[in-house]
Amino acid sequence: MSTPTDSVELVGDEVTGNVARAVLFAAATSATAPVDMVHPLAPNVPITLQTLWVYLAGVVLGPVWAGVAFVLYLLAGLLGLPVFAGGNAGLGVLLGPTGGFLFGFPLAAMTVGAIAHGTGGLTAPDAVSIPRLVVALLAGTAVVYAAGAAGYSLVQAIGPVAAVSAVVLPFLPVAGLKVAATVAIVRSDALIAR
Amino acid sequence: MIGYVEGETLVHRLDPRTKLFVQAALAVAAFAHTTPRGLLVLSTAVLGICRLSATPVARSLRSYRAFLPFLLAGPLIEGATLGAPWFVPADAATPALASYRVLLLLLVSTAYLRTTRVRESRAAIQRLLPGRAGVVLGAGVGFVLRFLPLLRHDLATIRAAMDARLGSERSLYERVRLIGVTGLRRVLARADRFALALQARCFAWNPTLPRLDPTWRDAPAVAAGVALLVWAVG
Repeated sequence: MSTPTDSVELVGDEVTGNVARAVLFAAATSATAPVDMVHPLAPNVPITLQTLWVYLAGVVLGPVWAGVAFVLYLLAGLLGLPVFAGGNAGLGVLLGPTGGFLFGFPLAAMTVGAIAHGTGGLTAPDAVSIPRLVVALLAGTAVVYAAGAAGYSLVQAIGPVAAVSAVVLPFLPVAGLKVAATVAIVRSDALIAR
Repeated sequence: MIGYVEGETLVHRLDPRTKLFVQAALAVAAFAHTTPRGLLVLSTAVLGICRLSATPVARSLRSYRAFLPFLLAGPLIEGATLGAPWFVPADAATPALASYRVLLLLLVSTAYLRTTRVRESRAAIQRLLPGRAGVVLGAGVGFVLRFLPLLRHDLATIRAAMDARLGSERSLYERVRLIGVTGLRRVLARADRFALALQARCFAWNPTLPRLDPTWRDAPAVAAGVALLVWAVG
């Protein structure tokens, strides 16, 4: 066995900072997965806060690194970390009935980031105007649910209408609530001076 | 919860890349042949994998019971009609087969998770994805693994603190907002400290990876994976 002698090529400061944030957002999404609350209208529908982190990642990290954060999340789940809802993991879950939502996470985070920050580099998250923020979050929500319904329809081999009524309609009221909460969080003191 | 289980089975000793390949090939075959006969063939294969990897079938399936409503909803919604016979079994057949396919894929991924350490999976990813993307994603998965328990603990603390202050009496919106604000503050603080620690420890583009040595044992598994792919395409 030989000792490699090539020099160490350090990762730059900016990339290191972004990797650290992407990792923490992916881990926070995973840590939220087993936390569920009871749906006020339908007690059998679990509410997880994963999409809250999708929105926050888009607003705080911007489109590129928010995308990286959720690709990391999917990869971690594929490789066996218990990061999906209910503490599950594995390819079976990604190709399962709720897999479409999971694939929608990186797309939605990138959508939120792209609309909130535009194309001219990142703006401070609390400097994004409220209407722009709301449009970004609603677009992100649309992406997650469209992906979720498409995945469900594909995996379960049922029509689009049946898919929407099974996996989109029951969750919409809570989705609205999470969008409102995200706006409040972005405008709170958690983000000041960052 | 399903995780790595120490063992000496044949599947434990395979290269993680081989296992990922067979898993993917089986998924492709399952989507290509969602017929009673196709699924019968695949069930035999999946049961064989479970046997070879010492994966308990019934117990593994029970741990996925959260999916049950979604698996049942498909056939029920598609089979239901407004008006006389109320339920058409023929319409429900295709979604029912699809639900069964999901169970098979869940079992195969359980066998993978029980026989492969996360460290090995990470090395496999870093070798399969070339260049800097592979480094960021491979290292990132390792980092997520370490932060997961910390953030779980953070979140549990936040919830305990909320409950102690009668947070459970607050509205759902208020609870989501509070968890988000406190959680985000902790995540950003941890990210800053973590970035500093990475710089201090020379986070590099060319790290030393654990070794992966494919052996002759991988050959039959790779052959089986190729056979599944050929069957799926043909």
